[in-house]
Amino acid sequence: MRKQRQRDAVWKFLTYSFVIVMTLGMMVPLYWMMVAATLPQEEFLQFPPRLYPGTAFFDNLAVLHEETDFLISIWNSVFIAVVYTVLSVLLCSMAGFAFAKYEFRFKEPIFYTILATLILPIQLLVIPLFLMMSQIGWTDTFRAIIIPWLANPIGIFLMRQNMKSIPDALLESARMDGATEFQIFYRIALPAMRSSVAALAIILFLFQWDLFLYPLVILEDSANYTIPVALSGLEESRRVNFDQIMVASSLAIIPMAILFLILQKQFVSGILAGSLKE
Amino acid sequence: MARINLSDLTKVYGTGGDSVVAVEEVSLSVTDGEFLVLVGPSGCGKSTTLRCIAGLEDVTEGRIQFGERDVTEYQASERDVAMVFQNYALYPHMTVRENIGFGLKLSTSLSSAEIHERVDDVAGTLGISELLSDKPKELSGGQQQRVALGRAIVREPEVFLMDEPLSNLDAKLRSDMRTELQELQEHLGVTTVYVTHDQTEAMAMGDRIAVMDGGILQQVGPPEEVYLDPANEFVADFIGSPSINLFTADVEGATITGPGGFAYELDDSTPLRDRKRVRVGIRPEDIRLVADGTNHADVAVVEPMGNENFCYMRLDDHELTARIAPEQRPEAGDRVAFSFEEGSLYLFDVDDGEALKTKTSEPTESAVEGVR
Repeated sequence: MRKQRQRDAVWKFLTYSFVIVMTLGMMVPLYWMMVAATLPQEEFLQFPPRLYPGTAFFDNLAVLHEETDFLISIWNSVFIAVVYTVLSVLLCSMAGFAFAKYEFRFKEPIFYTILATLILPIQLLVIPLFLMMSQIGWTDTFRAIIIPWLANPIGIFLMRQNMKSIPDALLESARMDGATEFQIFYRIALPAMRSSVAALAIILFLFQWDLFLYPLVILEDSANYTIPVALSGLEESRRVNFDQIMVASSLAIIPMAILFLILQKQFVSGILAGSLKE
Repeated sequence: MARINLSDLTKVYGTGGDSVVAVEEVSLSVTDGEFLVLVGPSGCGKSTTLRCIAGLEDVTEGRIQFGERDVTEYQASERDVAMVFQNYALYPHMTVRENIGFGLKLSTSLSSAEIHERVDDVAGTLGISELLSDKPKELSGGQQQRVALGRAIVREPEVFLMDEPLSNLDAKLRSDMRTELQELQEHLGVTTVYVTHDQTEAMAMGDRIAVMDGGILQQVGPPEEVYLDPANEFVADFIGSPSINLFTADVEGATITGPGGFAYELDDSTPLRDRKRVRVGIRPEDIRLVADGTNHADVAVVEPMGNENFCYMRLDDHELTARIAPEQRPEAGDRVAFSFEEGSLYLFDVDDGEALKTKTSEPTESAVEGVR
């Protein structure tokens, strides 16, 4: 009995230690980024590094603003990511719903073909997509960044798995109530899957937010740059401006953090609870 | 309100070698305002039949008519039917009011004020007025059940379909809701088809009951008729609780002899004509324990129910159940004599189970209890 308790305590200690180390491993770079954003360039490079915030944040921000269109880049990124997320969530949910709840010819082969496209890395698609976009005259436009990625295989897969958990009786009930197939999707399935939709929205937003190589190839005018593209510009022109990169990076995580805060409560609320008597 | 007519309804799932016949040539009429119960063991095709009537399944062959209207090819939403599902299928993200009003909103041109009023009326009828702004997850099983009913009633459909709506409730609530459902149906007068696997529920609720097995309709009739005059051995065995005692007996002239030295001579041996063996059925309430008799059995267990006792006996390796008076308390291991009236004897064909003789005597008081 006592031995068991000791073993439990040791196990608990090890678990917590592991979790704390992992958390620190992820938090330290983030913390360092934020501290560095408040330091002048020369202090940033000194050794041992300064580990507490300085006072140069607004100076760094002013320089960044003067030398680049970074605020515009943030706006571009937010605009692209928001439009992309809304459209792609809708498209992936509809596709997932169809794969989960309808019977049609070649359903399985089509689904597995979509899944198979996951093995293609983005880098492989950049050149063909660029050629297609330039042929239809879409280079240097936001739609070229948004549209090719709308049908996201991970999104479709995720929604199919989740939509499968919607009881058929719920959909049949709506059908008998006189709902059209689109109404069933839009008014019953989608709201019932709110937590999955929130998770999908974050995944898709993050995907678009982090997209670098493809927008780098497609976008030409710096006024159209997204954040990753603009950040890379800070490294290339003249010298590496660590202070500005850190300020820009700190700013760049704000929209993502806001989105997460808005949607996180959806993850935990069991929205399907109470619909069916188990 | 409408009369429902099923003619040669057949439903086959799959094609070719993998096909499964779920419902086979079911022909059935439900009269206007009638409460018909489809009953049978799981997998017997009762739910599929109901889903065909609802329009949730395509019909492979046969026709479905509501009154004069052939609705076979109609979509579910065009049939003017409402269905209560086994698990209620309430929309989880909507309040009770929205759940009940959803169908009206989509399928009628009523204004929101009119919908509001009708939802209020229905909620009043069902006693759930104070729950209208709650979400389904905040409700108890019984309340969810009422909401599901409300959703069906509010549309004032021609036909009500209910798929085991009480099976998720606890025993007490189930019997309360049973009565309430019957009263409600009587009050509304809507033609209702009700599916259940519980024969007690079927007997208690149905104006008529339709017994199904293996996708085939076995018998349709009022509960008493199905109980007393079953079409075949399956129906006799399925209807009645505790189940009818069944065993095979050899025929010699007018005498049948069965396991454990069972022997009985019939006054009227017409049903036995030209047969070597028959299946014998005796309802538990028709068996009497007597002081002196020719047939004997060994008592295995006696279960006191308060108003009666269930006496489980053995005829060799066959179990024999008797419903006996509460004051009769044989001990386990006792060898007792039993008897029964010839009029209460059932005989079935050994091969196809068809009834050769059913209960002909006036039902005794205990037999009527067995029905209810």
